[in-house]
Amino acid sequence: MLQVENMTVRFAGLSAVSDLSFQVSPGEIFTMMGPNGAGKTTAFNAITGFVRPASGTVSYKGVSLLGRSPDQIAGMGIRRTFQNNGILREMTVLENVLTGLELAIPHTFWRTVAGLPGARRAERRAVAQAREMLARMGIADLAERNAGDLSFGQQRLVEISRALVAGAELIMLDEPAVGLSPSDRHHLAGVLRGLAESGIAVVLVEHVQDLVMAVSDRILVLNYGKCLAEGAPDAVRNNQAVLEAYLGHE
Amino acid sequence: MLAQLIVSGIAVGCVYALIALGMTILFRSTTVVNFCHGEFFMLGAFAVLVPLQTLGWSYGWCLVFSLGLLFAVGMAVERGLMRPLQSAPHISLAMMTVALSYLFKGISRFFYGREVVALPPLMAGDPVFFGEVVLLPQDMLIMGLVLLVVVAFFVFFQKTEIGKVVEAASQTPRGAFLSGINVPLLRNLMWGVGAAMGALAGILIAPNTLVYPDMGGHMLVRGFAAMTLGGFGSLPGAVVGGIVLGVFENLAGGYLSSALVDITAYLVIIIVLLIRPQGLLGWRRDRG
Amino acid sequence: MADSCKYKRRLAWLLLFVALALLPLGVNNYVQFVINTMLVYCLAALGFNIVIGYLGQLAFANAAFFGIGAYAAGLAMARLDLAFPLALAVSAIAGGLAGGLVGMPALRVRGYYLAIVTLAFGELMRWFYVHADGITYGAGGFSPPPPTWFGAPLNETGKYYVFLAVLALGVAATQHLLKSRIGRAFVAIRNNEPAAASLGIAVARSKVVAFAWSGLIVGLAGGLYALLNGRISPDTFGLAQMLMHFAIVMIGGLGSLLGSILGAVLLTGAPELLRNFPGLEEIVFSLLLMVVLFFMPRGLGGLIADRIPAVRERLYRE
Repeated sequence: MLQVENMTVRFAGLSAVSDLSFQVSPGEIFTMMGPNGAGKTTAFNAITGFVRPASGTVSYKGVSLLGRSPDQIAGMGIRRTFQNNGILREMTVLENVLTGLELAIPHTFWRTVAGLPGARRAERRAVAQAREMLARMGIADLAERNAGDLSFGQQRLVEISRALVAGAELIMLDEPAVGLSPSDRHHLAGVLRGLAESGIAVVLVEHVQDLVMAVSDRILVLNYGKCLAEGAPDAVRNNQAVLEAYLGHE
Repeated sequence: MLAQLIVSGIAVGCVYALIALGMTILFRSTTVVNFCHGEFFMLGAFAVLVPLQTLGWSYGWCLVFSLGLLFAVGMAVERGLMRPLQSAPHISLAMMTVALSYLFKGISRFFYGREVVALPPLMAGDPVFFGEVVLLPQDMLIMGLVLLVVVAFFVFFQKTEIGKVVEAASQTPRGAFLSGINVPLLRNLMWGVGAAMGALAGILIAPNTLVYPDMGGHMLVRGFAAMTLGGFGSLPGAVVGGIVLGVFENLAGGYLSSALVDITAYLVIIIVLLIRPQGLLGWRRDRG
Repeated sequence: MADSCKYKRRLAWLLLFVALALLPLGVNNYVQFVINTMLVYCLAALGFNIVIGYLGQLAFANAAFFGIGAYAAGLAMARLDLAFPLALAVSAIAGGLAGGLVGMPALRVRGYYLAIVTLAFGELMRWFYVHADGITYGAGGFSPPPPTWFGAPLNETGKYYVFLAVLALGVAATQHLLKSRIGRAFVAIRNNEPAAASLGIAVARSKVVAFAWSGLIVGLAGGLYALLNGRISPDTFGLAQMLMHFAIVMIGGLGSLLGSILGAVLLTGAPELLRNFPGLEEIVFSLLLMVVLFFMPRGLGGLIADRIPAVRERLYRE
């Protein structure tokens, strides 16, 4: 479904990502790991249209993603979260998740402005959907709270809910488990596995070992922008090069 | 005629340059666009006028008084109004300067109402002829002063130790702070200097424009235009932008229509920001 | 919502409606004029809030849109003999087009630069009004023919009902806009533009829409102003006008509809009181602004919303 081939991303002469290649199929949970600065978030940014790769190809369901703007890529059924908080601070939790349904609500400007029943109905349906998503993620009680007032972990959950609510087919989560309590992590693992089972492709960037080992179908380890190892969790865990890279790291 | 237009343009452009320099100093030290700079300009002129006319002081002392007063006002504004808002959203600082601008205008309007007063020039005398080109002594004084200021700035920032330190502090305040430089004091002084420069510009051009509460507004826009044209945040850019703007205005007024003199600045702003936002000498920065 | 709550709400709205409808009976002509002025500024503040409060862009083009609306309506009545409802429609359309026009450079220009460019735009429009005197009657301005309703001239009371109806329509339409995915898009862009884009929000288009709608509403307010005053001249739409709008929105509270109304009511009364002393209006407004900036950054609307959660404005409807 998602195919990345020989992608290289450069910033001011340095290669943040070098010659990266991987594939993700529907129903698969694919995790990228690596030390800080290894290029994982840059890879995400390049795939979702925030940064232009210097070379290589990125395609989704056979269609190239290169040169497309982030909102166009979202329109193709891809959602992502951000490493350093993509939360909308001045909106409530419910409003945050509602914003995730931007593309699911019909774009009818004049009918909306006129307050016509059709537009109202679509809005009400979206609100119901958003509430249901919050319930599924176990944060329904936070619905009216201001997103900016929440703890980091709670904001994470809100952002994930927002990414999941529109039923995207490719979900990319950047360090979703940071700030989460062990029980929240457990819950998240369950949610991710449920997504995979329903045929959604999931790409994770994550450090938290137990989550990674628990849910991943395949792991790719990045170091200095280059692929160090790729494969099933156990194989990667025992890989010599990976161990060396992580020596001294958690 | 062309030569006259250009030379007169340079003369008035030097005043714009002075204003833009003051605004740039403030912008670099506190990253705030100072919407009340026009009022420093206006207050400077009034601060010469009041002692001159009501107290009968000599021009020289009035000048010193005005510059000193505006220096103090600049520092007071920074200390009392800008600094407490450091942690507030950036927009609040800009809005504070807008509010200040109206406050100063209101105060001077309260005292001077609808009066428009004339200020005698710093350097009186007959116009001097250079071939076909005419220059007033005041114009020559302005150009000389601005040249002096520019040279002083260059020497200060490029050659002296203190200057380099100030330059570094404006680029990375946190780093400067960690190196032991008293950043708040520096900011405070910069505001004083910037305000005083605005005042000086006002005093220099007041004989031409006459003194009235709204005189700052026009100059503010010219300052923005000069900074935009030269490159926002660039000191040499402010000077170049100011002079080029002055020349443009005169040429447009002379060759196209006198009506254009008023809006040349606006057009420059709009065109430059749409086509080449970094201006002539600026570099591409994502300033928001 | 419990039935008694709904009943109370409906009752409150009904009482408000009755009070507003009967208001002219209790006031004299001069007070009516002041109230009409308040209504105009309520609408102008509402429009301004969309761009500066919800979208969060520092665009100081409000006085320009206001002036464009006023001139459009005024000229439609003076030169084309249009009846006032049509003239108002013209002012709304002119404002909307101007808004869209300003919205496009706003995509490339941010922060302070946008503030400066939009101020320059406003001054440019004023220059146009002065110099295109073949169309705009020049620096002296003009007086459009007084509005009439089925032949009879509209007096202050008549204007009140017209203004109230227009304001109500404007508020309703804007509420529908803001309590929908469109309003959410504006705020999302203000809070976190990359995140907004990642959710499929077409950022550029949304920004232009915000500007266009703001221009439409403020242009409409300008049209009302033309009806209100009977005199339109370039001087009216300069920096002083901009300060008025700015002060209203800041003191009322950014991103708050209730705030815009409160601010407009509060500050429109003031000039009438301060009229006799030159400069006093500016001094009072600027001091008020500073107080707000220091102590109440979210303005009156924000203050009230903090105390009474029920009043907090939502970006959705249930």
